[in-house]
Amino acid sequence: MRKIGMALAIVAMMSGSAATAQTAYAAQSSHDTNSYTQPAVPVGPKVQMFDCQGGTGAMGCGAGFFWRDGWRGWGCYPC
Amino acid sequence: MRIRTMAAGIAAAASMTFSGFGYAAAQPGDFSTLPVDPNLITDSLAYSAAPPVINPNGQPGVETVYTHRDGSRTITTTVLVLPDAQAATGALDGARAALGTVANGKSQPVAVGSGGTMLTGMSSDGSQSVTLLSFAEGNTATTIEFAGAAKDPAPEDLVLELGRKQDTAIRDWQAA
Repeated sequence: MRKIGMALAIVAMMSGSAATAQTAYAAQSSHDTNSYTQPAVPVGPKVQMFDCQGGTGAMGCGAGFFWRDGWRGWGCYPC
Repeated sequence: MRIRTMAAGIAAAASMTFSGFGYAAAQPGDFSTLPVDPNLITDSLAYSAAPPVINPNGQPGVETVYTHRDGSRTITTTVLVLPDAQAATGALDGARAALGTVANGKSQPVAVGSGGTMLTGMSSDGSQSVTLLSFAEGNTATTIEFAGAAKDPAPEDLVLELGRKQDTAIRDWQAA
């Protein structure tokens, strides 16, 4: 009789632990640990004017200027 | 291409002015340091200077030719040191009379020295662009000639910048 009571107590205790663990797991899984990153919105194509040599500006010259050896020596000169 | 006629005009006017005047008012010293090197306002290596011509056309002063390293552009600076301011002004008037040799020339007053004038046009054969800056400063008469390819005239800002630096150099020399 005493052994039966002991066994019941052990079973009851184990069942309680399992139930608690299940609840804890359920609570944990409610937090979404996978961060969702919004994909970058694609930027439209940039328009860069061609310079007078057909490039996009050598030596840092902007559009409409090009690099040459002119009156002031090497530098960016208007087309 | 050199506009010899302009220098000749200055020389002729100066010669006429010299009659009855001496050189007492002209500063003594080395004229060769008067012309301003255009490399001061370029990438510092663009131009090489020919040896200065002292007393060009027999007149007291100096003339220096600066040639661009690609050989397509020249800057010729002529500074005549005359007896007085009146002679200098007269020399410039004589020089301007010879400016008809510049084809399609457009003349405009500029704020350089006294009576500063800039003439832009083409050489008589049309092969080169020519810009002539002339001004007086005290008893000096200065012309700076810029000659380049027909489609590559000297930029106005470069002409004025070099002219003003030349004017300052002359004033400093006169004050020394």
